[in-house]
Amino acid sequence: MSLKSRSGPLGYLGIFVLLSIYFLPTGAQGSDVGNCLLCHKYPGLSRVDENAEMRLLYVNEEIFNKSVHAKVKCEGCHTDIKKIPHEPVKPVDCLVLCHIIEPSEEQKFSHKSVETFLADSVHGKKDETGKEKPFSEDMPTCKDCHDNPLFRPLAFVKKVRPGVAEDALGRCRVCHKKEEFIYRFYNHITTRLHKSRSPLNIAQSCGRCHDDPDLVARHNLSTMAGGSYGETFHGKAANLLDESVPDCLDCHVPKGQSVHQMHGNDDLRATTHPENRGQICGSVDCHPGASPQFANYQVHPEFDKEQEPVTYWFTTFFIVLTGGTLLPLMAILFLDLLRRLFPNASFRRRKEKR
Amino acid sequence: MKKYPAIKIKDGKKYFFRFDLDTRVQHIILAATVIILVLTGMPLKFSDTTWAPYLYSVFGGSQMAPTIHKWTGALMLILFVYHVIRVVSGIITNHILPLKREGKMSVGRVTMILLKLPMIPNLKDVKDFFGLMKYLLYFTNEHPHGDEWTWKEKFDYWAPFWGMFVIGITGLIIWNKVIATQIIPGEFINLCLIAHSDEALLAALFLFIWHWYNVHFSTSVFPMGTVFLTGYLSEDLMVEEHYEHYVKVMTKEGLEGEIKPPHGGGNNPTTCGEPETDEPDSPPETTATEAPNNSTQQGGISS
Repeated sequence: MSLKSRSGPLGYLGIFVLLSIYFLPTGAQGSDVGNCLLCHKYPGLSRVDENAEMRLLYVNEEIFNKSVHAKVKCEGCHTDIKKIPHEPVKPVDCLVLCHIIEPSEEQKFSHKSVETFLADSVHGKKDETGKEKPFSEDMPTCKDCHDNPLFRPLAFVKKVRPGVAEDALGRCRVCHKKEEFIYRFYNHITTRLHKSRSPLNIAQSCGRCHDDPDLVARHNLSTMAGGSYGETFHGKAANLLDESVPDCLDCHVPKGQSVHQMHGNDDLRATTHPENRGQICGSVDCHPGASPQFANYQVHPEFDKEQEPVTYWFTTFFIVLTGGTLLPLMAILFLDLLRRLFPNASFRRRKEKR
Repeated sequence: MKKYPAIKIKDGKKYFFRFDLDTRVQHIILAATVIILVLTGMPLKFSDTTWAPYLYSVFGGSQMAPTIHKWTGALMLILFVYHVIRVVSGIITNHILPLKREGKMSVGRVTMILLKLPMIPNLKDVKDFFGLMKYLLYFTNEHPHGDEWTWKEKFDYWAPFWGMFVIGITGLIIWNKVIATQIIPGEFINLCLIAHSDEALLAALFLFIWHWYNVHFSTSVFPMGTVFLTGYLSEDLMVEEHYEHYVKVMTKEGLEGEIKPPHGGGNNPTTCGEPETDEPDSPPETTATEAPNNSTQQGGISS
């Protein structure tokens, strides 16, 4: 069965297209302006080609939209498709001029420059003298190494350290030509992808106001936030310069929003509102599977008789226990040292053997 | 079970049986786990001090130290369970079952057995404690004549026992907080954290000040008591700390003639205030017994 035979009467197709557009989830359109997914969205779509090889023609839209080429129209690479339904297509040539405008030079974008790099490399088909290398047909072309890669989190820099990563800049230079543009955008993007401050640093900067007793009293706040944070495992690990523990922002800023969108605990929009706390603690990066009860853990414990009597008396018990055990023992130890100075001296002596 | 002679003689000196191999191994595991736990735990408790990050990084920082702490804690808990099983099975096989065989089981008798276990504090401990106070305050020159286990040793036993229980339970809860809070309220985690770290600090100070003074730094044992390695205590220390038991063992072994006077020369007024120089004339040491003696095969503290 050829693709042509599937196209069917145009009337049905029109209705189908309209229905598809109507039911298409919003935001999922990607760059499928030509509506190629009308057919290619079906997982079974395939055919056997002239070499008797099965060709899968299905495009998983969800995956494709997370790939680096998500914004390129299908026709941008499949340049020989001029009408739908289309004839069997030629393999994609990665070096075509693409419709995307490269922002540093405002020219149409192409991977063509890569061809020059490749030709000059160990993988080039010709040697320095311009002679065809033996077995030059074995030399790789684009698609021998590249698939359509998915966007991934920033991870290719093997050792994270401050400053500009040359390995990353090398990637920028493949497509972008202007050094000034490369540096500016590299910095623009990467600073936003990294945490710019350690948890301890963030706690300290919040603490500049939130640990000020006058300010806390003035605003009737329930805790000296930085100090009480330091009493929990979160704050203690932050003190030991752990970068992975939650800081103020991780709990107080709603996921996916900016740090400027914090709300008070009594605001229903606040992540720290009693009804929302469970979701924050139980988030996939923190304590997945945590029950709502878990979120009742006091992340800002206060040693205060009125405010938290249980914690207060519980702690007091251990202080008394520690003092009550150690002080008498240390007194005995001290007396023992003194006693050893004069082992046989005594105010009174036993005269008789028992 | 291996029989340990009550007295061993080496280079003409008598050594008295105290701890069997099982008890000594338990002690070494306990000591090692305690030290590792303190070193990996205290930097967290005192995380705002300058030394904490350095000590923590020795154990791999926050990537590794918590893992070391948890698994060392788990090892300590296994030791605790093992110890309790040993003690309980010891009581059952050595005391309860014989009683049952004789058909003399009663609440009263079992209570009496439990009260007479070696580590249970008794009236003699109270008496010895006040005796020691009198001695330390120079009201007498006679050191209390301790029995096989003195109040100090019972204290050193029950303090870590309680400590391991409290720290172990709370540690397990903090470790598995997500599961634990399916049952207990989240606020309990705060209390567990307080109990865990405060009790740990108490235990650490107790061991590194009190226990180490008694077994390392006191002039009687400095630089280090060796009974935790050999299981046998030297005669001098036996006389100093366990005189009553010393006399009992010597008598039982038929060595009455070689019994030394108690510490401080209390029963020998003429030598008071002078250094003890007179060694009792002792017959050739070959008379010392090698015969196994069941009455002293107590298996350390676990029977």
